[in-house]
Amino acid sequence: MNDVLVGRALVKRFGQTVALGGVDIAIRAGEAVAIMGPSGSGKSTLLHCLAGIMKPDDGEVHLLGQRIDRMRERERSALRRTRFGFVFQFGQLLPELPAEENVALPLMLGGVARQEAVRSARAWFVPLGLHGMEQRRPGELSGGQAQRVAIARALVTKPAVVFADEPTGALDQQTGHDTMRLLVEATKHNGASLIVVTHDPNVARACDRMVEVRDGRLLAGGVPA
Amino acid sequence: MNLDLTWRLLKGGGRRGLLGTWLTLAAVAVSTALLLFAVAANFAFAARADRGAWRTPVPAEGRPAVAVEAARFDFVRDRAITVVDLAALDPAAPAPPGMPRFPKPGETWLSPALAELARTLPAGELAARWPRQAGVLGDAALVHPDELVAVVGRAPDDPEMTAARSEDWIAGRPPTKVADLRGRTSEDSEAYQVLTLIASVLMVVPLLVFGGAAARLTVARRDQRLAALRLVGATPGQVVGMTVAEAVIVAFAGAVAGVAAYALALPLLARIPMAGGPWYAGDLWPGLLVVAGTLVAVPLLVGLSAVAGLRRVVVSPLGVAKRETPPALRFVRVLALLAALAAVPVLGMGVSAGVIAAVIALAFLCVNLVGPWVVALVGRIAAATARRPARLLAARRLIDDPRSAWRTVSGVALTGFVAGFIGLLSPGVFSGDEGPPQLRLAVPAGQTAEVAGQARERLERAGVTATVAESKKTVVAALGSSADAAGVDRARTALAGLVPGHTASTEADDQRFGTQILADVRVGTVVVLAVSFLVAIASAGITAASSILDRRQTYALLRLAGTPLEVLDRARRTETLLPLAVMGGGAIAVGMICAVPLMMGAMNATGAITLLACVVLGFGGVAGAGALSRPLLRSVTADPAPRPD
Ligand SMILES: Nc1ncnc2c1ncn2[C@@H]1O[C@H](COP(=O)(O)OP(=O)(O)OP(=O)(O)O)[C@@H](O)[C@H]1O
Ligand SMILES: [Mg+2]
Repeated sequence: MNDVLVGRALVKRFGQTVALGGVDIAIRAGEAVAIMGPSGSGKSTLLHCLAGIMKPDDGEVHLLGQRIDRMRERERSALRRTRFGFVFQFGQLLPELPAEENVALPLMLGGVARQEAVRSARAWFVPLGLHGMEQRRPGELSGGQAQRVAIARALVTKPAVVFADEPTGALDQQTGHDTMRLLVEATKHNGASLIVVTHDPNVARACDRMVEVRDGRLLAGGVPA
Repeated sequence: MNLDLTWRLLKGGGRRGLLGTWLTLAAVAVSTALLLFAVAANFAFAARADRGAWRTPVPAEGRPAVAVEAARFDFVRDRAITVVDLAALDPAAPAPPGMPRFPKPGETWLSPALAELARTLPAGELAARWPRQAGVLGDAALVHPDELVAVVGRAPDDPEMTAARSEDWIAGRPPTKVADLRGRTSEDSEAYQVLTLIASVLMVVPLLVFGGAAARLTVARRDQRLAALRLVGATPGQVVGMTVAEAVIVAFAGAVAGVAAYALALPLLARIPMAGGPWYAGDLWPGLLVVAGTLVAVPLLVGLSAVAGLRRVVVSPLGVAKRETPPALRFVRVLALLAALAAVPVLGMGVSAGVIAAVIALAFLCVNLVGPWVVALVGRIAAATARRPARLLAARRLIDDPRSAWRTVSGVALTGFVAGFIGLLSPGVFSGDEGPPQLRLAVPAGQTAEVAGQARERLERAGVTATVAESKKTVVAALGSSADAAGVDRARTALAGLVPGHTASTEADDQRFGTQILADVRVGTVVVLAVSFLVAIASAGITAASSILDRRQTYALLRLAGTPLEVLDRARRTETLLPLAVMGGGAIAVGMICAVPLMMGAMNATGAITLLACVVLGFGGVAGAGALSRPLLRSVTADPAPRPD
């Protein structure tokens, strides 16, 4: 078994609401998994639990065999910074930082010298079709360009897993499609696994596997065959 | 207009929107209260000057004289007593202020504080100076409630009313025939009014800056929502109308709260000692007209400031959603400051106080204009040299929005201007001669021997051991090293009235006015600095909070991605303290330059300590106010599903 990330019997409640009612899920190395399901079914909650953003009420989360759901916030925060990458719907780039510094930021947070970090960051721009956008600030980028910068930022630290919650939700269909393809390709290219929450069947089709969430439970496909 | 919609916008802003509203309300309340104080201080000194005017006689000059009036100072312990001598020339002479009738010859009327003192001290130390006390002066005769005043009735041919007196107005007023008892405001009360005007300018400018920041806080809160409204098709007019209506409603509530706060603080403010005593609370109440004017002007100014802040949203519906590189601030601003500074050396002692005040206000405003420009420059330097992420984040933010960064620190930086100005200006303490007290009495030429003899006799009768010596125009009673304050007052009382129109005084008495002015300048400095600091720290706190609220989504998402809270917090701290260090230091220097032409002697320890205390308090206050918003940052970033609301 080369499972990178494993969630076992995950339960999460918000008061009376049961957002997750015992979910088992396993993600393999380099695999792209789409999480689908109706609004309010618990997709984001599952993502947050797997990424160590939320502590599940019950169940376990393992990253490469190491249990992470019991870690303290400081450790989980460091883990998210170094082992995970994130792409959110929008608003994740610091508006006053030029694009290349937004990408370099996670490296600098990890202690990489600034020049070195910026150099590594720049290397992402051409492959992602962002040539010449290095010095632009997020406000001067289109929605799709900004998401590609966010993808570069998520991948720059060479994470084990990239989490994306509706990364193309704020884009038009064509741009969304292109951005999604780039996301999947780039993560694959870097050997990282990808977990992406989406409403779009086309996005799901671009992934290796699709799991469906209904009322906090997985319908099928939680553990790969 | 859409008042209904505005009201719903105000109420439906969510918990954080509401927080912004409360912050604005509080900021406006603080500004209003301090503004009232700065304005009322001028009225208060004017009221004092008016009530004291009757003691400065105006010659009748052609009009029929009804009375003769003279004034001099006497002393008890370490306080001055104003002694006014009045003689009626006409039976219809009007009653002086605070008295039911014109005093008859031989009668004395004492102010309440002096009457109380005369009661508590042994008669030989004070009360014996005025054997026939006929009544107590009313408030209308007094500058402040603790003032020591004696009004003595005389006959027109009494030696007191005919003897020559010193022409020096600090020592008293020679007998003057007057047509009425209205008098005129004295030179020293006018000097106080000018100083107050300068102090008000120093307080009002940071207040306006702060008020503007508070107004923009409401707008910042609404930016996104309004851009959304604009996107769904609200006309620019509607958008402006709604936001301004909201800002004005909140500002009005804040102004009302500020007036109430000022009214509540009045009894405390009235206890600030100035020119020898506290205040009548009524003097510090600026009057209904001013209060009403404030209640109109403050919401109006906030509304205008809101309009200015809204321009961006109105110009383009995407103006807020899309943020672009701000245009560079113009170098012209720096030139304006340099020009104002160049004007300073031209000022000398000869220039009128009004011109000096105007130039100071101008330099002060220029510091405020240059602020954002320098902040952006500091940001660019810091960005180029930053190695750690926190420093880089702070620097980029300074470049991105130097105006808002400046707003955070402007108060303290401008206070630095005040501190630099006053630090240089506060004169040293008079060097008093130590040694046994000596009472000097000016004597008309040729009478010294006779007066010295009488003085010996009077002092002996009063049981005071003293060596009386005479020189050409003075008689000096040296009281010996064992004499205490009570002994000095016994000697004063014994010598009272010995030479008509003259008071026996010690060297310390003669310097009383100098020391009084020094004490007042120091109190004034502390008051102005306290106000500036209050404004500065409040605005630092409010700006810090609002900048977190503005960027809550980005902060929260960064935190989700594993950015340590400490990095964000350190960035915030750097973003405030870096420009503060540069601008605060710069403002102190500019303040000092402005003070140079007005300086008396070298800078002294008091000034240096005041300055140092300012720097420490300023940094501490701003850092503290920023730290207060840390829990807010924590709560904002604790949300696992951050959305712009
Ligand atoms: N912080 C919270 N407090 C209370 N209830 C919450 C909270 N977060 C989520 N929920 C509830 O948990 C359930 C699952 O929410 P979740 O955000 O995971 O749904 P989702 O599948 O991501 O929906 P969407 O597609 O709309 O984003 C919902 O019923 C939601 O109301
Ligand atoms: Mg969701």
